[in-house]
Amino acid sequence: MPSLLILVPLVGILVLNFLFKFVVRRAAFWFALALFATQVIITFLHAPFFYAGNADRFNPFFKVVFNIDGISFVALLCIEIVCLASLVVARYTLHDLSQRFNFTNLLLISSIGMNGLVLTSDIFSLYVFLEVAAVSSFIMIAFRRGKRSLEGAFKYIILSAVATVLMLAAIAILLLACSDTSFAAIRQGIGQSPESNIILFSVGMFISGLFIKAGLVPFHAWLPDAYSAAPDAVSVLLAGIVTKACGVYTLIRLVVSVFGFRPGLSQVILLLGAVSVLVGALAALGQNDFKRMLAYSSISQIGYIVLGLGSGTALGLAGAVFHFFNHAIFKSLLFVNAAAVAEEAHTTDMDKIGGLSSRMPVTGSTSVIGFLSAAGIPPLAGFWSKLVIIIALWKAGDIAYAVIAVLASILTLSYLLSMQRRVFFGRLKQGLEDTREVGPGFSFISVLLALIIIACGLLFPMVFNAIYAPIKQILIQ
Amino acid sequence: MTDTTLLLPVIMPFAAALLVLFVPKTIRMVREGMVLGASLMNLVLAAAFFKTNASISLPWLGFGFDLALRFYHFGNFIVLASAVFILLTALYCSVFLYGKSYSKQFYFYFLLSVGLTNGAVLADNLLLVLFFWEAMLLPLFGMIAIGNRQAYKTATKAFIIVGATDLCFMAGIILSGSLAATFTISRINLPPSGLGALAFLFLMVGIISKAGAMPFHSWIPDAAIDAPLPFMAFFPASLEKLLGIYFLARISLDMFKVNGDSWVSLLLMVVGALTILLAVAMALIQTDYKRLLSYHAISQVGYMILGIGTLVPAGIIGGLFHMLNHTVYKSCLFFSAGSLERQAGTTALEKLGGLAGRMPVTFACFLVAALSISGVPPFNGFFSKELVYEGALQRGWVFYLAALLGSFLTAVSFLKLGHAAFLGRTRDNNRLTAESPFSMLIPMVVLALVCITFGVFNFIPLRYFIQPVVGFGGPHQGVPSGMFLGGFTVAVLALALLNHVLGVKSGGSALKATDHIHYAPALKGIYEKAEKGYLDPYNIGWRAAGVLSAVSWRLDRAVDWFYDSFCVKAASGASAMIRRMHSGNYSVYIGWSLAASAAVITFLLKIHG
Repeated sequence: MPSLLILVPLVGILVLNFLFKFVVRRAAFWFALALFATQVIITFLHAPFFYAGNADRFNPFFKVVFNIDGISFVALLCIEIVCLASLVVARYTLHDLSQRFNFTNLLLISSIGMNGLVLTSDIFSLYVFLEVAAVSSFIMIAFRRGKRSLEGAFKYIILSAVATVLMLAAIAILLLACSDTSFAAIRQGIGQSPESNIILFSVGMFISGLFIKAGLVPFHAWLPDAYSAAPDAVSVLLAGIVTKACGVYTLIRLVVSVFGFRPGLSQVILLLGAVSVLVGALAALGQNDFKRMLAYSSISQIGYIVLGLGSGTALGLAGAVFHFFNHAIFKSLLFVNAAAVAEEAHTTDMDKIGGLSSRMPVTGSTSVIGFLSAAGIPPLAGFWSKLVIIIALWKAGDIAYAVIAVLASILTLSYLLSMQRRVFFGRLKQGLEDTREVGPGFSFISVLLALIIIACGLLFPMVFNAIYAPIKQILIQ
Repeated sequence: MTDTTLLLPVIMPFAAALLVLFVPKTIRMVREGMVLGASLMNLVLAAAFFKTNASISLPWLGFGFDLALRFYHFGNFIVLASAVFILLTALYCSVFLYGKSYSKQFYFYFLLSVGLTNGAVLADNLLLVLFFWEAMLLPLFGMIAIGNRQAYKTATKAFIIVGATDLCFMAGIILSGSLAATFTISRINLPPSGLGALAFLFLMVGIISKAGAMPFHSWIPDAAIDAPLPFMAFFPASLEKLLGIYFLARISLDMFKVNGDSWVSLLLMVVGALTILLAVAMALIQTDYKRLLSYHAISQVGYMILGIGTLVPAGIIGGLFHMLNHTVYKSCLFFSAGSLERQAGTTALEKLGGLAGRMPVTFACFLVAALSISGVPPFNGFFSKELVYEGALQRGWVFYLAALLGSFLTAVSFLKLGHAAFLGRTRDNNRLTAESPFSMLIPMVVLALVCITFGVFNFIPLRYFIQPVVGFGGPHQGVPSGMFLGGFTVAVLALALLNHVLGVKSGGSALKATDHIHYAPALKGIYEKAEKGYLDPYNIGWRAAGVLSAVSWRLDRAVDWFYDSFCVKAASGASAMIRRMHSGNYSVYIGWSLAASAAVITFLLKIHG
């Protein structure tokens, strides 16, 4: 019953607000934790269901059709893991109890939105869930009501509004052209008249909206401000999953299940992917702010995922999905570590911190694992997914893009290495003598994420097969 | 005879070598006794296996790398010959090296090289040959390096030259093994054309370098001065000649189907002739006993290569016979050098003189060996050289003339050497010089007797050793068939004597007997350069390497600049530009997004519309 994935947080919000708000507000954290843990369990229990094959399957509870397959499974897992990490970070970084309570609510709402957009098989419902996730993000970014937070949130809203307009207009046109907004109907409509200008126009608009949501260059301008201005727990959520679920997952889903791979679309995706990879990495190289650097790094890594998708082969898509998962894990880990640094050192300006590894050994060493995975160093998980993407690009004949992907990984290594050196290695800067690990929960989540990275790297054949096999099936259909 | 006993000639010396390392120094002569015992046992084994015709193949490392040995007449003959020299060398060393600080190391390397030689000769698997062959570098380096203060440099030089040519040998082995699809030597039979030619060339380079031919010779004269003397008698004079010429004969006669009119034959003859002439020309002007001998060790290889290169029966038999004879008289000559070094304290000719009376046995042995190397009848060198001449003349008069000229110069230089060292006025520092001890004399006397025996009764080695190997050669025994050639040889030797007499008269002393050649107008400059090492291929190689390294250094700087400066500047420039573009202006950001959306839509419409 995948509908539980929407029902659980929904009921959870009600219980939280009617019961816990008045009785035990302190226990809200544990309740939310339990809710997310339940979602993880539900997802795992439904694994055979997801892997039963690509299908628009009727859901008896909501009386709608769900579109689920192996890709949805990976995406759902990412959502739940990152939400858990974000929740833990919030417990330590949002000190005001009522603020934290509100955050917990918003996190649950956001997870409804993301779970919904993963499951849905209707382009309008997709839009609605997207907005649910987006609106909760706006609020969360502006949580502190500082100037920077408001500016970051405002930029996000403005550019999301552009995306909304593009997507809504596209949905309207598609509704006219295909007489329904379900995936199946649109797929059929496109199949009937693949060269129709009006459909192409709407497809172009819709994916442009998704590009904004995903933060691909040059649609990305909101992203660094939003990520770095948001409270730490929100940065974890945004960078770890929200933009990826809203932008990248939807892009993958629509290209795979609705629009289909067509040469023009692939070229656009490849070009934007390559530009994002390069510009993101180059911009990250010049940043002095820890979180801002990670934000640009996200743009670059999303570029890799999109490159894998653009190759248009099963292998490339599998690499993209695997990198989607890996990025969710290692970027969350890096942002969790950034949160720890911000919490203890009260700044994320890399010129003002240094040598923190001696005071925060867990944060420092898990950060090494995170950045090595991001830079694609074997045998960590990030290496394998990048390798698969590069091989897929090469095999598909997009050799220039493969070369860009390889060269950009050098840039990735260089900026992440400099980050690690400036923040964690070297001599402890003055005034940081009192820093220490934030707390056991914090360390627990860092270690957990690091272990996932290592395990996925070492068990690469099994993990990758779990992703690759269903995708081959999907693309055959 | 079980299979395992066949491994003894290889295993026994190794075991003895290891044992030598652990023998206590305190007990007198025990180490020397062990080495002598091992050498004797080696000789006994070689003699016992001489008539054996058997193979043994044990799986070893896989990948076609089997421990395969093959006993047959040619290999057995080489093992036996080397075993004789090994025993004589061991006997000689037992006195010569007694009490020397490096004697333990020397004996270790000595026995090691015995095992390696036996292994290389008997191996029937090319990879196994390669293993033993390359391993010879270790004793080579070690034995030179334990010499005097300069020795380490010379050892390095030898190591580099031999090591580099060993790499060629390796390439040749891999190439011929893959061409023939087997590494078993007895099953390889390749034509020397195409890749086969390349394989032959590689093998040849490795082999003639081992034998010490030009242009891979230049470490030998240096080692003559720097290395312990028995090394010279043992390694470049005998073992390496036997090994090198053995393999040259193997590759040209069995492994490759070489016939007389192929380029291979011509190449070998040219290399042989040049080696004879150039090396002997250098020998002529030497003023050190050992160094002079070492150039002859190079020059004489030329005769062997020339002989085998002719690929006619007389030449091949002559080449192999000359190999045998050369090891005999050259070992004897080096031993006499050791005698002088030990008894007179020096081998510099200017400090020697009139020793014939003080060291009569040494002088007698020297005389026999010198007459042999000069090719005076009826000593052994005469007969083998005559055979080589005969072969060379069948292939072209140029080669014959070169060989003859070489003989002339050889005779001239030995007249000078003998005259300067043993005859003439006794120097002050030689007044108290006495004859060498008994066990140093025995090897010399034995070798000198062999020189005479193999000369007068030359049918013995020819019929019992050489002919079974090549499988032909009935008429090439006794007195040379072409008396005509013999007459020329004698005439040339007479000319050499005349030249010496005139030279002594014009130069004023025996030492200066060759000055009229040394300082002849055209030759003076060349000699000067050669003596300073300008013409040494090794030094030329170093100079070339210097140029190469300068170029590489520049290239390295350029690459460094590209990575260290250019890439960093480009990346940080791009980074700064991107940062400037992110001005934080909403309208600009919206503009980017809308423009990009318009571009995406237009592109899709254009592609599919």
